[in-house]
Amino acid sequence: MSGELVVDEGFPTEEETQGLLLKVTDLKTSFATPRGRVRAVDGVSLELGRGETLGIVGESGSGKTVLSRSIMGLLPRRTTTQSGSIVFDGTEIVGAEDKTLRTLWGAKIAMVFQDPMTSLNPVVRIERQITESLRLHTSMDKAEAKATAISLLGQVGIPSPTERVRNYPHQLSGGMRQRVTIAIALACSPRLLLADEPTTGLDVTVQAQILDLLSSLQQERHMAVILVTHDLGVVATRTDKIAVMYAGRIVETTTTRRLFADMAMPYTKALLNSTPRISDPSHTRLTAIDGRPPDLINPPPGCAFAPRCESATDQCRTEAPPLRPAPSDPTHLFACWNPLPGGTAGRVTTLEESP
Amino acid sequence: MAADTPLLSISDLVVTFKKGRQNVQAVAGVSFDVFEGETLGLVGESGCGKSTTGRAIVRIEEPTSGTVRIDGTDLTKLARRDLRKARTEIQMIFQDPVSSLNPRRRVKDIVAEPLDIWKTQTGDERAATVREMLEAVGLDPDVASERYPREFSGGQCQRISIARALVMKPKVLICDEMVSALDVSVQAQILNLVEDLKARYGLTLVFIAHDLAVVKNVSDRVAVMYLGRLCEIAPSDELYSRPAHPYTEALLSAVLEPDPSKEHSHVTLSGEPPSPIDPPSGCRFRTRCPKAEERCAAEVPELREIATGHQVACHFPTLRSTS
Repeated sequence: MSGELVVDEGFPTEEETQGLLLKVTDLKTSFATPRGRVRAVDGVSLELGRGETLGIVGESGSGKTVLSRSIMGLLPRRTTTQSGSIVFDGTEIVGAEDKTLRTLWGAKIAMVFQDPMTSLNPVVRIERQITESLRLHTSMDKAEAKATAISLLGQVGIPSPTERVRNYPHQLSGGMRQRVTIAIALACSPRLLLADEPTTGLDVTVQAQILDLLSSLQQERHMAVILVTHDLGVVATRTDKIAVMYAGRIVETTTTRRLFADMAMPYTKALLNSTPRISDPSHTRLTAIDGRPPDLINPPPGCAFAPRCESATDQCRTEAPPLRPAPSDPTHLFACWNPLPGGTAGRVTTLEESP
Repeated sequence: MAADTPLLSISDLVVTFKKGRQNVQAVAGVSFDVFEGETLGLVGESGCGKSTTGRAIVRIEEPTSGTVRIDGTDLTKLARRDLRKARTEIQMIFQDPVSSLNPRRRVKDIVAEPLDIWKTQTGDERAATVREMLEAVGLDPDVASERYPREFSGGQCQRISIARALVMKPKVLICDEMVSALDVSVQAQILNLVEDLKARYGLTLVFIAHDLAVVKNVSDRVAVMYLGRLCEIAPSDELYSRPAHPYTEALLSAVLEPDPSKEHSHVTLSGEPPSPIDPPSGCRFRTRCPKAEERCAAEVPELREIATGHQVACHFPTLRSTS
């Protein structure tokens, strides 16, 4: 990037390169619905350092999207109840006024959504959608902002950006649109990028391109990224650490390497084992998890995963396990009464006899 | 596994759509056989024509030319009435389980509808068949029968559509992205269920999906499509361990494995597939192919056999030793 971007002026201070960027403490987000209160995020705490990448993994209904929107401060006020704290770069997000949030959105914290067609405005040219935040948050004039928009499109890998900047979203393919939303998110060099299932609707080859793009941009800009996904494959090689969510809670969190090498939570292992792998022979019997995630209006007492867990005991069904550190590594946290013995990440597969 | 004559034989299938004054060849001459008791996986990226191929087989989309033979009968030549009869042998399951079920009908009536249309079973016999089918797909008939689709989750709705598809005891099942809308834990349940039902009812499957790992898991053979044409077709383990077409190689290298120790060695494909309105001459993949030469622009590569059962449509396939 050239010196045109004036959001972060001068050299970053020591404070800006070190220490925590985001600290979430006992966050609870719930929604009022006609059926009752949905506890979508139920006591989540996490920390993210500057320039770090965190993967949040979970199935639909696990609360991962609500968590990312809570961090962004993007939830409807009228139906949402929140408690706990989210401190982003010294600013409290929970209960913050719109005025405060507007100074953060786009400038310091930006988001890439799953569906680029619905997150882009269909009747506005790409150029204006990118320059909007530049004009708002920086002192750039129109011409500078346009030049920056073109340079951003080039950086996210859009061919002939000078012409493309005149296009409307419908003139671009799905992969190109997602590149545009990334360009918009990066326009003001945010410190944190939230990417919620950024590659879910895309083809495998395009998915690989977009994820490569995100990691190279992140390294260039020393930006922190939260990658929210249901796909363990997406986070396995692209994140520093992972938080696995189930029923609104973090059930296991540690560094990516340790998680895959030495997972403690039976749910994490079940999730991994139910994912078909390209390295397995065909007709490998998958270890499916019976049942489905609990209803977040009336969650079961005890561990939320207990009804589907093979190693559940009476204690699991009555008493909710706290998130506690592993004896061998205090940074590895998990919420389970009967954790898997160490080094059990290797999966057990049974080859089904062909009929 | 394979009998000598294929149960389902697709030959030179072409499907053309009109887009304004232009013609789009979504499927441009595809031929393959599926043998009894076999699962053929059909993979490719969006827009490659895999779903259109599936839909053209059952004539939801009318094929422009080509033949689709099941047990020797050419479905493309059948009159409407005969086609309806023939479709009891060949059923389809769609991607979105919720929208493929009528929201105003009870589950028992949804599952029994094919029986009602053909009036093959009535009364107690019909009720017993519905119970059998619901049990076969892992739903409790006492709980599920009287309910409406909205009371079920996505995975359960997909089970209901499977029950409906199987109630006439078809020979062939076309599954179009049947697990792509589901969570991994539910996806695994449905994939295992499909394997069980295939064994129990002796089904022959055409399994269409974009997820290469899912396709490998269920398929005996896999066919790869690109821009309306077949690139490569081979037994699954062979195709995944020794891909010969540069496109198959690129697809496989882009797959993300849930294993941090596996660094990605991307043969990253640049760009995206060209428009099928104006496809490249010769080999359709040549515009993105790292190996493309002049011959690729001039000459359409035909499918040819490079190993037993392994066919590839490429002038310069990657040949690997069978070790």
